[in-house]
Amino acid sequence: MNTNLKISNVTKIYPGCVANDDVSLEFNSGKIYALLGENGAGKSTLVKILSGVVIPDEGKIYLNKNILKLNSPSDAKKNDIGMVFQHFNLFETLSVFENLIIDSDEQRENLKEKIDTIMKKYNFSVDLDVPVLNLSAGQKQKVEIIRCLIRNPKVLIMDEPTSVLTEQETSELFLSLKKFSEEGILIIYITHKLKEVMQLCDEVAVMRRGKLVSVSQINNENIESLANKMVGQNLKTIKKTKEKTSSDQLIKITNLNYTSEDPFETNLVDINFSLNRGECLGIAGISGNGQSELFQVLSGEIISNKNSIEFNKNFIGDLNPQERREYLMAFSPEDRLEQAAIPQMAIFENVALNNFKSSNFFNNGLINESKIKEHSKKIISEFNVNTDNIDLKSQFLSGGNLQKLIIGRELITSPDLLICFNPTWGLDVGAINYIHETLIKINEQNKSIILISTDTDELLKLSDKITVIHRGKLSKIMNAEDVTSEKLGILMGGGN
Amino acid sequence: MIKIVKRDQPSKAIFFFTPVLAIFLTLIAGGIIFYILGFKPFEALKFFFIVPIADKYGFSELLLKATPLCLIAIGLSFCFKSNNWNIGAEGQLTFGAIVSGGVALLFYDQEGFYILPIVILAGAIGGIIYASIPAILKTYFNTNEILVSLMLVYVSKLILDYLVVGPWSNPEGFNFPETRQFSDSARLPLLFEGLRIHAGIFLALAAVIISWFVFYKTYLGFQMKVSGFSLKTAKYAGYKGKKMIILVFLISGACAGLAGVGEITGPIGQLHREVSPDYGFTAIIVAFLGRLHPVGIIFASLVVAITYLGAETAQIFMQIPKYTGQVFQGMILFFLLASDYLLFFKFKFIGSKK
Repeated sequence: MNTNLKISNVTKIYPGCVANDDVSLEFNSGKIYALLGENGAGKSTLVKILSGVVIPDEGKIYLNKNILKLNSPSDAKKNDIGMVFQHFNLFETLSVFENLIIDSDEQRENLKEKIDTIMKKYNFSVDLDVPVLNLSAGQKQKVEIIRCLIRNPKVLIMDEPTSVLTEQETSELFLSLKKFSEEGILIIYITHKLKEVMQLCDEVAVMRRGKLVSVSQINNENIESLANKMVGQNLKTIKKTKEKTSSDQLIKITNLNYTSEDPFETNLVDINFSLNRGECLGIAGISGNGQSELFQVLSGEIISNKNSIEFNKNFIGDLNPQERREYLMAFSPEDRLEQAAIPQMAIFENVALNNFKSSNFFNNGLINESKIKEHSKKIISEFNVNTDNIDLKSQFLSGGNLQKLIIGRELITSPDLLICFNPTWGLDVGAINYIHETLIKINEQNKSIILISTDTDELLKLSDKITVIHRGKLSKIMNAEDVTSEKLGILMGGGN
Repeated sequence: MIKIVKRDQPSKAIFFFTPVLAIFLTLIAGGIIFYILGFKPFEALKFFFIVPIADKYGFSELLLKATPLCLIAIGLSFCFKSNNWNIGAEGQLTFGAIVSGGVALLFYDQEGFYILPIVILAGAIGGIIYASIPAILKTYFNTNEILVSLMLVYVSKLILDYLVVGPWSNPEGFNFPETRQFSDSARLPLLFEGLRIHAGIFLALAAVIISWFVFYKTYLGFQMKVSGFSLKTAKYAGYKGKKMIILVFLISGACAGLAGVGEITGPIGQLHREVSPDYGFTAIIVAFLGRLHPVGIIFASLVVAITYLGAETAQIFMQIPKYTGQVFQGMILFFLLASDYLLFFKFKFIGSKK
């Protein structure tokens, strides 16, 4: 029997952001659909709407021409929509079988028989009596899939399923998915990995900033065209006026490696680059390819081998962020509200987070509030933060003003190097321009920038040199003039 | 029609009003419970909350009970403000009492001005040692501090039991489960003739002032505050988040240990089985009722101390079971948590639209 799932004019607005903006899509069984987009593009919200976790503000969903009312995850289950989330929802200490029986209405024996049939049919081998914590990530995912299959779903949604899988497990998964599809299950595959889309899917829908950008047959696309659709292709011609290149080396990274214990993080492999004074190095890439880990290694939140980072002729790989600041480095992390600032604290207290010995914010262990406040006022006026009340909790600043405060806090000490990660993410055009101008200005003052960004336009506008990070590895470093967005697209997708 | 709406920002006035509201609701609910049990509600409440502190002796008893509650709650506020859930203050108190009691017993037949400071210090160290166990297990082995600190409470009580029955029991004590009397030099001096209130209250007041100073005026306090809000930010700022976690545990252990010292070197002057009537657990309520603020904690400790006294008075005069005191403590926490809802939501009265 054919299944037809239709999303019609779905809109979901969160405070300060339109997560889904009038999205309409239609799916038919027998095909595998990719839903492609960067983090924050709105694909997760759409999937949550389909699985009943989030209720849309507007719009309707039809299954085989009937309106679906999805007010809770159990509604989705009742309507034969199965969902495998990126993070598993399994009880680690219970056995596989116990996990499966928990939300099943079937008799023990029946269930067992059903599971055996499914496992035989799709060639799954999972030991039912083993506690889940002893399983590999791939096996845990199989348990989740079995849990969906028990209910004979018409629709199966997979959310970033390969992020924790090995290559081998990934190809096994793809085989199974193709088999499900042949049997008439409609499959929606959410990812930001372009290669997988090309390998697996028949049709691809791309989302960007809450909007559906395109729907197309996979045969009409290639990795570059999809990458461009994902990150936005409207290239601006404004480029930094290149004056002089200094040959005065400021920072040099040599054979930097980072292996994480967390399976959701990306390992960094043999990072090597160097940067001269007055230059901006742009690091492009699709998010989730190791940018966050690279930022933390550079800022000192993750400590590495002493000799792997040479800054201004000092080896600083083993220093923490505060110690690195003393060498005139500054950092602006991606997450404004959870890392760069504390929303519940006043503006002036947030300013004190960037603390130098010479700033005298804390004398003999005591808070020097008047000094901090004086400094805060200076930042507010020099960096156009739109408030005059430094006792205000920073949660009441708009995103743009908060980012100005953070960049201002980092720059007012005139550091030699600013490392920033998605500095304009989620800001409005005015604030973006202001931040861009500021970054260009500090390059002109012969200071350097490492700009990690998922926004290709921004990188081409601001960088002197560009490299691409893919699966924790950097591509070779290119001069920005020689780079086109097509070339970046290829590199971001893992091509050459 | 009444509608519940989310507040744009938590209201500061409500923040300090809800504890008062919680106490008020507790009194009403308490009255209802007394009525159901067949007592006259107003009379019972009077015996519970007014009679016990109506005279000088009663007031001294109030301060006596409030002292350990205040001291422990101040220590706990360091932990709770930084999202570390140390609920084993009772164990830290007991272990502090064991260590300081042990030291006091060493000097049982000696006199000297130096003995009391050593005994007090020993109590603080005992609390610190005992609090360091959940702290280190949490930071280096990812254990859950709630479970570890709670279970250690029972361990410490069994150790105390063993000591007072066995090796440390008074040789001339007819096998009563208690130690020798400490020498006068090992005891916190009583402040007034005939009243039991002792110098331990100064320890509590000092803790209030020091904690206020540390939390609001020092770099250390600033780092604790930041680490409590977000470990990610603490890491980014370059603070040593793990050390901060251990430190808040140690501070809270020291305070609980000092409370233990007060209990054994005050009016009692010996170690025995029941060092504390669950002060360590009740102080959790005190800390939250006082909004984790030093001044708030002073008031909260007085309020909760009344429930201890009231329970005894009500039992003596009205034959109301003593355990009603614990019911009141539970109700205060319950109503406080419930009325905290008002911090984030407000009622809006809207006319029906037609």
